[in-house]
Amino acid sequence: MKRISLLIIICFCLLLSGCSLKQEKEYKLNLYYMDTYIYVDFFCNNKEQAEAMKTSIDSIYESYHKLSDRYNEYDDIINIYSIHNNDRKDDYLVLDPKLYDLLEYSLEFQKMTNNRFNIEIGGIIDVWKKYRELGEGIPNVKELKTADKRNKLVLLGDNKIKNNHPNLDLGAISKGYATEKVGKYLEEQGITKYLINAGGNVKVGLPNNKDYYRVGIQSPNKDGSLVTIVKGKNISVVTSGSYERNYTYQGKTYSHIIDPSTLYPAEFMKSVTVITEDSAIGDLLSTTLFLMNVDDGLEFIKNYNAEAIWVTNNDELIRSEGFSSYE
Amino acid sequence: MEIKKFTRLSMLLALSVVLNIVESFIPFFNGTIPGLKIGLANTVILFVLYFYSFKDAMTLSILRVLLVGILRTGLFSITSLFSFGGALISIVMMFLSKKFTKLSIIGVSIIGSISHAIGQIIVAILLVKNINIVYYLPWILLFAIPSGILVGFISKEMLKYFKY
Amino acid sequence: MNKSDKILLIIITIIILVICCITFSKKSDLPKKAMVYYQNDLVLSIDLTDDSVNTYEVDGLLGKVVIEKNGSKVRVIEENSPNHICSKQGYIEESYEVLICLPNKIVIKIEAEEKIDTIVK
Repeated sequence: MKRISLLIIICFCLLLSGCSLKQEKEYKLNLYYMDTYIYVDFFCNNKEQAEAMKTSIDSIYESYHKLSDRYNEYDDIINIYSIHNNDRKDDYLVLDPKLYDLLEYSLEFQKMTNNRFNIEIGGIIDVWKKYRELGEGIPNVKELKTADKRNKLVLLGDNKIKNNHPNLDLGAISKGYATEKVGKYLEEQGITKYLINAGGNVKVGLPNNKDYYRVGIQSPNKDGSLVTIVKGKNISVVTSGSYERNYTYQGKTYSHIIDPSTLYPAEFMKSVTVITEDSAIGDLLSTTLFLMNVDDGLEFIKNYNAEAIWVTNNDELIRSEGFSSYE
Repeated sequence: MEIKKFTRLSMLLALSVVLNIVESFIPFFNGTIPGLKIGLANTVILFVLYFYSFKDAMTLSILRVLLVGILRTGLFSITSLFSFGGALISIVMMFLSKKFTKLSIIGVSIIGSISHAIGQIIVAILLVKNINIVYYLPWILLFAIPSGILVGFISKEMLKYFKY
Repeated sequence: MNKSDKILLIIITIIILVICCITFSKKSDLPKKAMVYYQNDLVLSIDLTDDSVNTYEVDGLLGKVVIEKNGSKVRVIEENSPNHICSKQGYIEESYEVLICLPNKIVIKIEAEEKIDTIVK
């Protein structure tokens, strides 16, 4: 009898232990910044903490949205717009440390890629944007060359930059960078289970009740199909070359990613997707890979702890060496 | 071995074989779910376990599987292998529960019925090398309760009428 | 029946309930596939998302096993085995169901496709 009652007690303990585990709840957050719908999903066992975190996540994205905005001015902050358009007489500008760090980070990568990745081509971006919005015609070389003044961004230390009105564009980094900051913030708050989707940038932590997340990579063709499905945890998946920001004129599709050497949209491939741990590096890498041919890309990515999959112009799939370990 | 016991055991063995074959004629238990059966033959085994000894019950059980195998399915067929796994685990579990718990003959019978099913599932998993067979377990467990009670009840009644 | 018998019954019932909860929680509305295994090797996978009726043949240990797909359900219609257990079992369609043809060492299992958590554009 003792044996049996012991058994029953064990059984009930097992059953009860299932219920008394700390209740982790799922919290979801939808935002719209940087021209992108952002979705954040995380698991937390404390409601107040979760609500506070939602506010903080919102403000992180909002601050990077404002700082990297190149079309609008905001009171009291110097952003990409006001770096280019200001009538201050000073020789230098004092930036928000967040923006300074972001610029320093981007410039370092730009030097590493011999200016292939380039944040100083805002002038060219503006010309292309004008035509894209007009929906007609493409700019000629002369027009592009005139617009390409490329004032160098000069960092002076102590959050100061030279006030030489560089026309910057952080479109290729700001989303990934902000997403990485949000991921890091969640981890600092003790949140390990999370998923962030900022359009072309997905960052996932640990999954809930399963072994890994499954991240679908959307086809660059407008048919809703998937290139492949990536399985993993604690990874970032970043795509460059989505059809959503493309511009089609006279049957030819122009990407929104401009090659700084030709001043025309890069045409090496339809899209490239990078898997890395760090979403900011992922964003830099995917843009850079988009600006070189696949063979160069395959060599280039070997220098990084990253994997990539290319969709070529013939819809062929090319994978880096270790990519299939994520499939 | 005294002659009376020897004769009785032989007759019981014959009975268990017959019961086993009779049961396979009942359509519902002939395949709806593999491993699902009343286990009428178990009444005999259970009876021997209580009336004689574990050793006798074990011998009887093994002989039964062999005989049914020869008579019906072929000695080394998959079905015999199945029954063998089930019968062996079942008899050992019944012995252990009889000796170490305070379960009555009905409880022991339920244990036997369940372990018979589990034994078969284990053999099946080993044979097919596929763990999915486990999905049958709830059905088999559910069915093991009434069939275990029935078998236990019959054995209990049998024990009343037998004398050394 | 004595007290410990009743306790045994309660324990078994609890175990059954727990197993049932686990298996039924696998029920899903996601698109399904029937996976046919010979021993442990996947030999055939049948998409169950359309309404078509089709038959497929796979080689079992004792000969051909004929599988019929009827819309979202599958069953074994022909096989060579002593008891024909799996062809008697009829259709299966939920992801916790299996068809097992032991003498042929064939297992047919319904698998729901895994959900995609998010899409990178």
